[in-house]
Amino acid sequence: MGARVLVEGVSKRYGGDPSTPRTEALHEVSFELLPGSFTALLGPSGCGKSTLLNLVGALDKPTSGRILVDGLDIVSRSEPERDTYRRRTAATIFQFFNLLSTMTVVENVSLPLLLDGVPPRRADDAARQTLTEVGLDEKLTAFPYQLSGGQMQRVAIARALVVNPALLLADEPTGNLDSRTGNQVLDLIEELVSARGLTVVMATHSEAAAARATRVLHLLDGRLVAAS
Amino acid sequence: MTLYWALFSGLVIRPARRDRLRFLLTIAGIAIGVATVAAIRLANASVLSSFSSTVDLVAGRATLTILADGPGIPEDVLGRIAWLERIGAATAPAVSEMAAVAGPAGEVVEVLGIDPMSDAAVRPYVLERVEEGHGPGVSGEETLATLFSLFQKDTLLLPAPLSARLKAGPGDTVRLVAQGQERSFRVAGVLEPSGPARAASGAIVFADIATVQEAFGKTGRIDRIDIVTPEGTSLADLTRLQEEIASSLPAGISAGRPERRTETVDRMVRAFRVNLTALGLIALLVGVSFVYNTLSISVLRRRTDIGTFRALGASRGQVFLTFLAEGAFLGVTGGALGIVLGVALARLALAMVGGTVTDFYSPAARTELTIDPSILGFAFLTGVAASVFSSLAPALEAAAVPPAAAMRHGSVEALRRKGTVPLGLAGAASFVLAFLATLPGPVNGLPVFGFLSVFLSVAGSSLLAPAAVTTAARLLEAVARRVLGPVARIARANLSGSLSRTSVAVAALAMGIGMLVSVAVMVGSFRDTVILWIDQTLAADLFVTPASGRSNVSFGKLPQEFVDRVASLPSVAGWDAFLGFSATRDGVPFTVGSGRLDFIASQGNLPLVSGGDPRTLATTVRQKREVLVSEPYAVKFGVKTGDVIAVPGPRGDVTVRVGGVYVDYSNDRGTVLFDREMFCELFELDGAVSVAILLKPGLTPEEGIRKLREAFGEHFAVRIRTNSALRADALRLFDRTFAVTYALELVAITVAVLGVFNTLLALVIERRREIALLRVLGASERRVKEAVVFEAGVIGALGAGMGAATGAVMSFVLIHVINKQSFGWTIATHVPWLFLTAATLVVFVTTLLASWHPARLAAGVEPASALREE
Repeated sequence: MGARVLVEGVSKRYGGDPSTPRTEALHEVSFELLPGSFTALLGPSGCGKSTLLNLVGALDKPTSGRILVDGLDIVSRSEPERDTYRRRTAATIFQFFNLLSTMTVVENVSLPLLLDGVPPRRADDAARQTLTEVGLDEKLTAFPYQLSGGQMQRVAIARALVVNPALLLADEPTGNLDSRTGNQVLDLIEELVSARGLTVVMATHSEAAAARATRVLHLLDGRLVAAS
Repeated sequence: MTLYWALFSGLVIRPARRDRLRFLLTIAGIAIGVATVAAIRLANASVLSSFSSTVDLVAGRATLTILADGPGIPEDVLGRIAWLERIGAATAPAVSEMAAVAGPAGEVVEVLGIDPMSDAAVRPYVLERVEEGHGPGVSGEETLATLFSLFQKDTLLLPAPLSARLKAGPGDTVRLVAQGQERSFRVAGVLEPSGPARAASGAIVFADIATVQEAFGKTGRIDRIDIVTPEGTSLADLTRLQEEIASSLPAGISAGRPERRTETVDRMVRAFRVNLTALGLIALLVGVSFVYNTLSISVLRRRTDIGTFRALGASRGQVFLTFLAEGAFLGVTGGALGIVLGVALARLALAMVGGTVTDFYSPAARTELTIDPSILGFAFLTGVAASVFSSLAPALEAAAVPPAAAMRHGSVEALRRKGTVPLGLAGAASFVLAFLATLPGPVNGLPVFGFLSVFLSVAGSSLLAPAAVTTAARLLEAVARRVLGPVARIARANLSGSLSRTSVAVAALAMGIGMLVSVAVMVGSFRDTVILWIDQTLAADLFVTPASGRSNVSFGKLPQEFVDRVASLPSVAGWDAFLGFSATRDGVPFTVGSGRLDFIASQGNLPLVSGGDPRTLATTVRQKREVLVSEPYAVKFGVKTGDVIAVPGPRGDVTVRVGGVYVDYSNDRGTVLFDREMFCELFELDGAVSVAILLKPGLTPEEGIRKLREAFGEHFAVRIRTNSALRADALRLFDRTFAVTYALELVAITVAVLGVFNTLLALVIERRREIALLRVLGASERRVKEAVVFEAGVIGALGAGMGAATGAVMSFVLIHVINKQSFGWTIATHVPWLFLTAATLVVFVTTLLASWHPARLAAGVEPASALREE
């Protein structure tokens, strides 16, 4: 079951001290995401897409505003609660895959479960099952450097989905892939998401990728300028 | 901006600025290693230089010096070389002794007995003040007549600084302990601190030769004859003259360059010096492992930049040179800092090593630090060379980076992982070679192959480190799956994923701990062996030696009158007296000593190397007029029971048969032990260096001392120690001698722990993105911290385990090869378990503590910003 996300008047400013000029990455952004929806954040580089994803993913805190996920304000939560939120509710995939280079494929995927206290055997079983779902059951003991870009992103997707999150945050997931592989990755996301009913937010600067979403939010210079 | 500057600035200086703490730590690591090497060599050179300057100053203008291999030169030798005067050469006989100024805190002075008639031609004395009525109080080089007029019986000349210290000017009295008795000398004049008055750091007094011979019981004997050949004598003429003089002298007395005495002392301290230098080099080795690690990490982190430089046209050679220059830069900076630190450390080391060496070899010398630029240069260049050498591998790796920097981090480590098996095999081979290196004997008296064996063991352990880390990581994985959860899995992945760095940290720690273990086992074994030996040999209740002021070792001797009176005391049940002299054989020094073999036959207090009964042997040796030799003597000269040896006597060599070899840890020079009666007869000596007294049953040592004091009153200036006091003194001296080795261990361990800190810090900095990712995946700050601390724990445990194993091998080599070949002692291995367990635990805990800052740094990684950096 997907999460309901409510973003209310969120702003994010950086700097302002004597050494760095003040920049406003996000300004009074508000929107709501319904459970099971697939939303694209579309805009050019530097428009605030990744910042917004970081805030919804509890990787960072807004300067002002509220973010409610299933009615809970994640901004005001304590750090351990935000850790738990990242472990169980919001999973993220990145443009550069961000796999742990020192761990094998199956270890990368089972790690979030281990972090959540799942016994190792169960964690590994779950990881194998998810990797089979993404078509990587033959690469379980490979290291990331032995994989292609598309394979790495599939591992990242498996790692995100293994915890059965309610919210999937994808930051330019196809930005580092050729168009054919990118499309395959988007197909996979769509397929898995529809099967699990996840809420998905995808940041992209590609109109074509955004067209896969059911809803597109246009960002420009940190402001939400249109929704379609 | 030149291309090289652009490369160096872009790939070395700027990254180093960003990573200041790590670079400073690396420089500190090299600096500590260089400082240790510099300090040890400076301290030793200073001791030797103070001795050699004494030799030079006493020799004055002499071009040749006649010395005896045995107990002094008979005076009639002077008549045999009287012909030298006819060719215009001047000869000056002298007697040299050591004496304590009376009083318990009295300083030790060298006493040089000279003949004023002839001495002014050899040694330039400059009088500052003289007693009234002796000359005009001249200054400047004194005439023979004035010098002669000053010297009367029991008068002496003092250098001005000593005169000030003793508060004794012309006409005042100075009391010296001679032959165990306080004796008054009148100060006839004060010398300016120049020429011979500067010898023994100014702790020297001059008296008439007859006065010194009489006061110190050396009538009829002299210690040296200095010869000044006519000006313009060529080297060839000098050699010819030396041969002619030799033909005029009896066996065992020879003429040579004055500095050969320094060479003898150099030989005596050489083993000590070489051993310490080798320990210092291990500290440096630990230090340079820093360089490898730092550079290796640098190359890894800067792969993209290196690739970019390569894409822009930089050649492989240029990249290689840039990283080699970084190694040189670290070496030069660390080396420069190291020599500054080394001079400071040398002062400290001098107090420790210098004290021991001067006590043994030259108690009057007050060693001052001599800063020898060639030693500083050596230490500096060793640091730079080692640093450049350890940067070779990372530099080659940097040069291999393809222009597009297409290879990923993981693949680099994968390449390195492939080297694990060949490196492990090389490590095993290194241990085999280390074993083989224990088989050959010493080279020129030095355990060269023993040192090679230690270095091969260290190398073997380092080469095995990657295999050990990989194996430990695998074992950990098995445990991780069941017990330790995600923290262990993260740490395990990091360990094997960063194999090249973690294994260097493990190797460095193993080196430090190996050194700790080996030296602790060696010193512990030695100490226990010595304690056992003291228990076996100190059979008497009291030990009497001449008063020796504030010096820790005894010198001088007690007169025969004292020995006779002790023997007749009713409170004495038995006694032994040691008497001996220093001798040389082909320039190698040893001791010719004597004791009462009948005392040994009754007490059995002379353990034998063969383990037989000393009572029976002592009786047989005495009856057959044979000698016993100490184990160091037997090893040094390759002598065994039944061999016939020659000992230099006053009238040529004395040949005797060796009846047995006894255990002796009191010195490494080696001793030939005669029965007292035979010794006094052969060498025309009497008195004793020390007297051991067995009290009548029922008398306590304190009562014994009281009775001795009552019997002798103030007549003798002696030091009487009880059995337990002598035992405590011996162990104190032992501990002080080895204090410096403990200090070196501490240095190596500190450097190694710093190395672990440095590595963990580097790994945390390098893995910022991965740590951020863990945080994204929901790992709490605590989990991240735990993973780093856990990793440190594994590095610490592996280092401790491998260190203990290497240490065990090294201690075997130290005890049975290096020590045996250097000093000739057999030591029974004893493992100080408690100390080792405690020390290893301390190192392990310190390693964990060293991980605290990197762990905090890791926990503080901001996930969003760290990922944005990508």
